[in-house]
Amino acid sequence: MNRIRALLRPDGDQNLARIQRRKRIVSALTTRVHLIKWSLFAVGYLWMLALPSQRLGRGTYIDENALQPGQVNTYWNWGDVANADRYLEQLERIRDANETILARAHILATEFMKLGIPASTQSYRFSSSSGIVEGTNAYAVLSSPRASGTEAMVISASWISRLGEGDGSLNLRGVATVLALARFLKTYSLWAKDIVFIISDGYMDGMQAWLSSYHGLPQSNLEAEELELPSGVIWTALNIDYPGHSFSHLGIFHEGINGRLPNQDLLNSFSYISRWTGGVPVLMYDHIETPRFEIPAWIPQSFHDEIRNYDYRSKNVVRHIGYQARGRGSGVHGLFHQFRIDAFTLFGVPATGPHGFYAIGRIMESTLRTTNNLLERLHASIFFYILTAPDRFLKIGSFLPSAILISVGMMFAGLKVWSDAAWIRVAVAEIEEKEKTGNGARTQWAQRRRPVIPVLGIMLSTHILGFLMFAVMRTPWFINNPTTSSTILFTICTAIPLTALFTPNQTQNPQTTAPTSVLLKALNLCFASTVISITTVVNFSLAMVLTIFLAVPLCVSAPSPILPLRIGQYGVYIVLALGWLCATEEVRSALWDWQVLGVWFAPFVCVVYTPLVLQAAIVCLLPV
Amino acid sequence: MHVDDLTLPALVGGRVAVALATDLYQQLKYNHQLASPLTSYLNLQEGVFLFKNGVDPYFGGVFRHSPLFLALFTTLIPTSRTICSLLWTLSDAVGAWALVQIWRARQRAPQTSRDGLVAAAYLLNPYLFLPTFALSTCTFENTLTLLSVMFAAQGSVSPALLSAALLLQLSLSSILLTAPLILLLANSTGPVSQLASPHAFASNGRKVLPLVAEYVAYVAILSLASTLVSGSWAWIPQTWGANITLPDLTPNVGVWWYFFTEMFDHFRPFFLMVFSVHLLIYVAPVCIKFQYDPLYAAFVLQGVLGTFKAYPTMADIGLFLSMFAVFPELFTYLRHPIVTIFLHLHAALLMPLFHHLWLSQGTANANFFYATTLVFACANGAALTDCVWAGMRIAIGQPQDGYSVVQE
Repeated sequence: MNRIRALLRPDGDQNLARIQRRKRIVSALTTRVHLIKWSLFAVGYLWMLALPSQRLGRGTYIDENALQPGQVNTYWNWGDVANADRYLEQLERIRDANETILARAHILATEFMKLGIPASTQSYRFSSSSGIVEGTNAYAVLSSPRASGTEAMVISASWISRLGEGDGSLNLRGVATVLALARFLKTYSLWAKDIVFIISDGYMDGMQAWLSSYHGLPQSNLEAEELELPSGVIWTALNIDYPGHSFSHLGIFHEGINGRLPNQDLLNSFSYISRWTGGVPVLMYDHIETPRFEIPAWIPQSFHDEIRNYDYRSKNVVRHIGYQARGRGSGVHGLFHQFRIDAFTLFGVPATGPHGFYAIGRIMESTLRTTNNLLERLHASIFFYILTAPDRFLKIGSFLPSAILISVGMMFAGLKVWSDAAWIRVAVAEIEEKEKTGNGARTQWAQRRRPVIPVLGIMLSTHILGFLMFAVMRTPWFINNPTTSSTILFTICTAIPLTALFTPNQTQNPQTTAPTSVLLKALNLCFASTVISITTVVNFSLAMVLTIFLAVPLCVSAPSPILPLRIGQYGVYIVLALGWLCATEEVRSALWDWQVLGVWFAPFVCVVYTPLVLQAAIVCLLPV
Repeated sequence: MHVDDLTLPALVGGRVAVALATDLYQQLKYNHQLASPLTSYLNLQEGVFLFKNGVDPYFGGVFRHSPLFLALFTTLIPTSRTICSLLWTLSDAVGAWALVQIWRARQRAPQTSRDGLVAAAYLLNPYLFLPTFALSTCTFENTLTLLSVMFAAQGSVSPALLSAALLLQLSLSSILLTAPLILLLANSTGPVSQLASPHAFASNGRKVLPLVAEYVAYVAILSLASTLVSGSWAWIPQTWGANITLPDLTPNVGVWWYFFTEMFDHFRPFFLMVFSVHLLIYVAPVCIKFQYDPLYAAFVLQGVLGTFKAYPTMADIGLFLSMFAVFPELFTYLRHPIVTIFLHLHAALLMPLFHHLWLSQGTANANFFYATTLVFACANGAALTDCVWAGMRIAIGQPQDGYSVVQE
């Protein structure tokens, strides 16, 4: 007993032991900060690489019991398929006759009215710096026979298909499916929610105009007619995209604008129904599972499956990140999410067979019956996920830490630079020098000041520069002369930070005041880390891309004593900060997305990303 | 005229211009971080409307403002938005002026070069000006807090006690501040910084009793006036009582609301008692430890209030953070200021974000927002413990090589 007590409470000064223990722990950590930082980075990046692995993540499941997918008999039959074919013929006639947009919308609305469903049209006109977009939507509201119409479901098809990201192929079979479904669904009285049919014009613009008017959100650059037919709160929306002659698989497109995702239950119900009711295999996007490369023979057979799986899933994950990071919706459904509507696009992957109207009709009918079952909104928090395959997904806990670890590493790095800035080794004064008996010049640590105000001033001015740059990019001049304007912007933004070169070398004594470049680096790292860790919850893909572009470059920024090397470093950072200006087409579409759809990616890059890298560039320029 | 004399008017002018030129109220009025059910302008309007139409506003559980607000807004001040924006901004201006006066009293100087900085710390603090734009009545609580501290620092007994009693009418939890205020009035060393030379309370304890009596008298008179205004005693359980019984669980930046949404009903009274007593626990130790510098004790207790009170808003902790400007002697002794700053930055960015994800976008849930209020509480706790440490550490003097300070 006494021995245990002695172990717990050793003799001697308790406080001394405590101080020594604390010092040991602190020095053990501070001397290893670089090791900790780089190992956090390594773990984070490896984790990101492991995201598509089949060992991470789990199978999908239906969380909401009310959905009951695939539990009903479907009644869609060959007669309805014939109706769909008649509608398709009519649509092809409209296409071939080259009808005006307005006439087309009126014909579509008339078709709905012929069925006895109230229908109307809505003309709209978007003005953006790249020009004017006009069109006319047609829509119809089938009132719920069973309830008061306070809730609604949407079935929509855009006139232009997402094939080639809206490059102009028509979605005629999708529109025909919507019309035939309207005819079919009207004959059943089991609908507990209004069903709204929308044939939106254009690719994204038509639906944006319709949704803005429906939710009464005025948009300064949009002139749209008011909607004549009211309905309830929209809970779910299914968007049909069927551009080919037939389809072999149905693809799920689910990313919304600004990185929003629909509730996963909706996608899982659809996958389940498609597989077991419709008999159609489901894909992520239009990624048909074909091997992309030969697996070398020396790899044991037992690993082949895993490699194939990884290859297939990594394709899905990369595509997902491409959509989500840029905040670009992967289709018309993406516009619904901002109004708290769960929506996705069913994409009929063009093929010569075997599926067509019969399969898609049955799947739509059954999926509508499932969403019709909902008594409350889909709410369980499965809004944060990465679908690696139609039937496998990553929970938030299995992907979020990867970016967070890197952001923590950056925070450590920043704090280390910050605390190091406070100390400097100085030679001990003369008198003490004589007393010493040891060898060589003795030095000791001295504390110095860390003035923050000039550093914050530099940081703020880079963000203001980014804001001004974005203001210029919004003008029609920028869009109309992409090459000249990009060059001018690039030159100006490169030239302004160069003034840092001419800051006087020794304004303050480095013995008493920490150099600005060190403090700027510290705060830049800490601030970038904050931005990344906060972005992870809103838009994980964007945070991941930020960790790739920011983490290592910001950590290694340091001024070099040799002037040409300094300029070289600066050039590298400038390319990292502003290189995207060369991708004219990408910049143009990001700006269009911001002006028409309200996608935050373009302002985020200009006001947050570019200034952060510019700060690192300035670190390289400032005097040591 | 010195340049610093112009800083306060210039800042106030800027604030007035922003208040009149923009319509931030429309965007901020529903914001749970800026106004609690006890301070929301929407609830005040509702109460005034009911009162004007002859309905008792304290019947129904929506209106929880003091009857003094009813009296003010039904007789003197029309509820026009422009006038209100001006009134709220002017209240902030008075607060900033009071803070500058406190600073001057502590320095025992009629004017210093840092006056402008102190005013800016109050008027440019986003935790303070955003609630003002949202017309949250916590702005008035802050102004009254600063006024009572200012009068106490200047040694004007009756104005200090009267504004403390008025403050109590608006917010029951501010009773925590009365102890340091009375000590400050009874203290013979005044508001001048004594942190570097701790000593026993330098005054006659007998001075305290008449001060307490005067304070109680003011509180009694004001309570009576409130009762006369509202016509019954019903205001007491609805306004003061709400701080203790927590009837409204609208989310806010504090740590109470979520805890009590999860609470089984039969444990509720017990934990309400625990949470309320927890607030009171701090008064005695802080006042005893900092008996030589009651102004500092008031500062620390304001931090406790902002972190742990029942219906806090950003403004409560904002006042604590702005008051740092009055104690520059702390800065070199703070142990982890940069960590505190980045915790605050994280909390300040995450709170509106998770609030939006939960209540507008619908993808997150209450746990997300609560988690960020915990981050916020950690940030406040870090600031609080650090300034308690620094306040006591000053007395030991500059750190020396080969020595380190440890807390037993």
